[in-house]
Amino acid sequence: MAWTKPIIREIECGMEINDGGVLF
Amino acid sequence: MEDFIPVIPRGVRLHFDRVRDLWVLLAPERTINLDPVGLAILNEVDGERSVSQIAGDLAARYDAPVDQITTDMREFLAGLMDRRIMETRP
Repeated sequence: MAWTKPIIREIECGMEINDGGVLF
Repeated sequence: MEDFIPVIPRGVRLHFDRVRDLWVLLAPERTINLDPVGLAILNEVDGERSVSQIAGDLAARYDAPVDQITTDMREFLAGLMDRRIMETRP
């Protein structure tokens, strides 16, 4: 895998739901 | 430039989102989607090793210039620090 500049992609208003996912 | 040790704060963790099949950095009221390089960096953040130590390891793994990796890492970590989801210690 090649090095690429890492990008921060922020998800607005993320809320964890029930260890299964993130709900939007 | 001064070296520092990045630390993932209490309450922030890496999480695999099975629904969307990707890794995210999960913090209270914030979620960051991680690309493969971002994930590789955060997997190396152990609260013990400094940026320069981690950059050296990643440079060997990716066969990329350590200066480029250090610059990209610092910018990435600074973005997380701005969002209060990364801390540092000297």
